[in-house]
Amino acid sequence: MIGTIYIEEEISSHPRTLEILKRYQGATLIEINAYGEVFNRKSQNFRLQKHQPSLILAKKHKGYVLPTPKQYSLGAEYNYYFSHMLNCLYDCRYCFLQGMFQSAHYVLFVNYEDFISELKQTIAQHHKEPVHIFSGYDCDSLALDPLTNFTNSFLPFFEDEPNALLELRTKSTQARTLLKRKALSNCVVAFSFTPDKISQVLEHKVPSIKKRLNTMIELQKAGWQIGLRFDPLIYCDDYKELYKALFHDLFNKLDSSLIHSASLGSFRLPKPYFRKLEKLYPDDVLLTSPVEEEDKQIGYPANIRDNMLNFAADQITNYIPEQKFFPCHEMI
Amino acid sequence: MIHFFCALPCEAKPLINHFKLKVDQTSDLFKIYITDDKRITLTICGIGKLNAASAAAYHCAHINPAKSDIWLNIGIAGHQDAELGHAYLANKITDSITQDTWYPQFIFKSPCKSLSLITLESPSNDYQASLFDMEASGFYSVASRIGTNELIHCFKVISDNATNDFKHLNAKQVARYIEQQIDTIESIINILQPYSNELIQISTPPDPFNKLVNQIHFTATEKIQLERLLIQWKVRLPEIKPDNVINLDMKAKAVLKTLANQLEASPLNFPMMRK
Repeated sequence: MIGTIYIEEEISSHPRTLEILKRYQGATLIEINAYGEVFNRKSQNFRLQKHQPSLILAKKHKGYVLPTPKQYSLGAEYNYYFSHMLNCLYDCRYCFLQGMFQSAHYVLFVNYEDFISELKQTIAQHHKEPVHIFSGYDCDSLALDPLTNFTNSFLPFFEDEPNALLELRTKSTQARTLLKRKALSNCVVAFSFTPDKISQVLEHKVPSIKKRLNTMIELQKAGWQIGLRFDPLIYCDDYKELYKALFHDLFNKLDSSLIHSASLGSFRLPKPYFRKLEKLYPDDVLLTSPVEEEDKQIGYPANIRDNMLNFAADQITNYIPEQKFFPCHEMI
Repeated sequence: MIHFFCALPCEAKPLINHFKLKVDQTSDLFKIYITDDKRITLTICGIGKLNAASAAAYHCAHINPAKSDIWLNIGIAGHQDAELGHAYLANKITDSITQDTWYPQFIFKSPCKSLSLITLESPSNDYQASLFDMEASGFYSVASRIGTNELIHCFKVISDNATNDFKHLNAKQVARYIEQQIDTIESIINILQPYSNELIQISTPPDPFNKLVNQIHFTATEKIQLERLLIQWKVRLPEIKPDNVINLDMKAKAVLKTLANQLEASPLNFPMMRK
C-alpha cells in the first residue's frame, strides 16, 4: 500500500501521472523539483524504508537505453537494458539495489514516450541485426505492472520491432496483462529462481515457487516464451540437492522444448554494495557464507563458485540444449 | 533515546510535566531536560532557525546521540485555514530564505495528517496552504546529519490562521495546544520506537564483544573482524556460546582464528532460518 507519493513538478500533469494518482486517492501527495532530492539523500535508511516504500513519479532526462555489461547476453552481439523504474516490490537479501541506492522508494519514470523513442533509435542503428533489450535490471518488470501499465505501454512498440528481442525479468506472478494479449514472438518472460528453502529465507515478499511456476505454465500455454534465470546461485552445504530438485521441478513441469533460454550466475556484489549490505543486515544468514574479494567484487571463493556453476551447468544442460544455455555470471 | 526540541518554554512545559523530565545541570548553553533513565531529553532552543540549528548541534555534542535515536521538533505553527489546535507532521520543510528543502520520511501510518512546512525568518500573517514556523529548517538540517531521516520529524500544532492571527497568542494558550496533543505525540513515539529498536539491534555488537575488546588488545581492523565473526557465530551456532572455545588468556589473533575455524567447520544450511 503506497501512502506517500512524491511528484516532480515537471510531470505533475503528465497523463500517466494523472492516471496513477487516480488509483491512489488517499495518498499524501508531495511536490518535488527533482527525484534526487528525496531519493539520493544520504541520511535515509534503506532497511527502514523497505517497511513502507513511497512512490516517486519522475521524468528521466537522459540515458534511457544503456548497453549491458559485456557478459550479460543471450547470444546476441548487441545488448541493451532500460529501466522505467528504480527499486523493487520484493526484498531479496542478495539484491544489488540495496547497495546501490540510498532509498528503497519506488521511482517511476513516467515519460515512457522518451524511452520508446530512444529504443527505436537504438534498434535502428543496428540495421536489422538482432538486438536484445533487457528490462528488469533496476526493478522487477512485472511486479508493479497494474500500477505502471508498463507492458501495455511497451509491448505494442516491440510488436513492430521484429529485430529486437525483449526480456522481461521478473519474480512476479503479475501476468494478467500478458495473458490478455496475443503472445509476442520477440518477447521472453524470464523468471528468476533460487530453491524453495533459500527463497523462503532470502527472497522476502516473493511469491512461492509453486505460484510462479503456475504463472509460467499459463504463459507458456498462451504462447509466451519463457526464460529461466538462476542468478544468483546461492551456496549452502546441500546446494546440490536443493538445486537438483529445483531444476527437476521447473524443467519437468514446464514444456522444456519451448523454454527460450536459461542462464546462471554466482552470488557476487561490488565491494561497496556488499559492505553496505553488511551494515543494513549484519545478521542475515547470507552474510555468514564464505566470501572473498576478487576484482573489486565480493563473492564466493573461486573453488565454491566454480563448483556451483559447473554443477548447475551440467544439470541444466540435461534438460535443454547447450545453445539455449547462457552462463553470464560476471554481469554486475 | 528520544530527543524533543521546542522553541519556547511554554511549548516544552506540557512535555516536561508529562514525561517527568528534569533539568540537566551539566548543560550551560541551552536548557536541556532529561528523564532519570536518560531515555528522553528535551532541549529548549529559543526562537528562530539559527537557534534551532545551534541547539541541535550543541545537543549532539552534549548528549552524543545514536543513529537509532528519535528526534522530534515540537511546536506551534500558523496556517491559512487549518483549525486551531489541530496537529500535523511536516512532510516537506522549505527554508524561506535559502529555498533548501528536506523531506522527513513516512514509513508508517501517521496518527495525524501531514503538510508541507515553510520556515520563516520572522512571524507572518500572510498565511498559505503550508504550515509556517521559524525553527524546522534549522532543526532538520542539523538533525538529519546526525540521525536517520525516518526517525526525525517536526510535529506542529496550529496556533494561528487567517482568522486568528499570531498577535493574539499567549503562553498559556500555547501550552494548552501542546498539552492537548500529548496523546498524539505518544502515538508517534510508539510508532517510531520499533524502527529505532531495529537500528539498535543491528548496531549492537553481539556478546562477548565488549568483554573481549576490554580485556584483550585488538587492533581497529581486528575489532571489525571480531564483530563480524561473532555475528556469524550468533546466526550459525546459536546454541553454543563463543566463550566455550575462547578465553581471555588468548591473544587477539588466536581468538579470531579459533572463531573462524569453528565457523568454517559448522554447517551452512538454509532451513535453520525462516523469514
